[in-house]
Amino acid sequence: MRRFFIYLFMHIKLVIILVFFFIAHKPIAQNIQVLKFDALKQCIYNNSDTVYVVNFFASWCKPCIKEIPEFVNFAKGIKNSKIKLVFVSLDSKNDPEKLLKIIQQYSLQNVYLLDETNANNWINKIDKHWSGAIPATLIIKKGKNKKFIVDAISCETLFKFTK
Amino acid sequence: MKTIKSLSILWITLLIISTNSFAQKNNKDIVDFKLKNVDGNFVSLSDYPDAKGFIIVFTCNHCPFAKLYPPRLIDLNNKFKPLGVPLIAISSTDTMMYEEDTYPNLVIKANEEHFNFPYLFDEMQVVAKNFKAQKTPHAYVIWKENNQWVVKYNGAIDDNGMEPEKVTESYVSNAVYELLANQLVKTSETKSIGCQIAFRRK
Repeated sequence: MRRFFIYLFMHIKLVIILVFFFIAHKPIAQNIQVLKFDALKQCIYNNSDTVYVVNFFASWCKPCIKEIPEFVNFAKGIKNSKIKLVFVSLDSKNDPEKLLKIIQQYSLQNVYLLDETNANNWINKIDKHWSGAIPATLIIKKGKNKKFIVDAISCETLFKFTK
Repeated sequence: MKTIKSLSILWITLLIISTNSFAQKNNKDIVDFKLKNVDGNFVSLSDYPDAKGFIIVFTCNHCPFAKLYPPRLIDLNNKFKPLGVPLIAISSTDTMMYEEDTYPNLVIKANEEHFNFPYLFDEMQVVAKNFKAQKTPHAYVIWKENNQWVVKYNGAIDDNGMEPEKVTESYVSNAVYELLANQLVKTSETKSIGCQIAFRRK
């Protein structure tokens, strides 16, 4: 009897963990995950050998969309390497249509939609000199910011800074 | 020997402190400007001899994030102009990049949205550079101190761009109320998302 309860308890725990996981990473579509800043931080700041290239953008930001082909080219060049390209969309989660179209058009991978209404709570945690202007691209090595560029960026520059 | 060493350390520390404070002072001082308003007249800070301060908002027509704010800018001006703190909006966008932000389009926008404040065209982007404005919308509260204009607040207008009904902190409004009450501004800098003001490279 006791064993039964222990099993039951474990199952319930598993279900709770799974439910929690899906709430924390709600996928709007296949290639896009909605998350809070703390969850994003865990994804990009860690001690692995992976170099993270994090592009902050929004579907409404013209220069951001203009530079996406640069990232697409960069992505082709980093296959089988320890560099991971991540897109962080600052679009509203209630209005993701335009974003989904862009993701589809360029077949973007690793797209996160940041579910935060007050940017003042997280911008300083990325870089305290950042005003919040986009496009902005962050390069992280071993859990530390290596380069932060608040401007449009070219494929060549991306290769240069991730070397 | 020891005293010389410690004295030199003291001098160096003093030097660093003094240069830092000078740099800060220069950063915060704002130079008056003269820009063309949407009504065809030129506007300067000195046109308002009775103003205690100003709410200066760098904004533009094209940026979707800036588009969320015109009704709130109108409210701010309604609230604070009678108290001696008028609002001035400035567009410093590079018009080579955005046709929407050319002077004729600013005029159309101001009429459509019934702006009750000046909407100035910073064609050469000099005023944005003086303020170190980096994006739209980017708000400043400047205050008159010893006949100088000093930046007291810079950053977001409030804490929720997308959903005005869910705003819990109106940063600009709070700063102005604090200044009017001769208090220190509690939150003097905030961050928000916005469209980068791309400065033309010479």
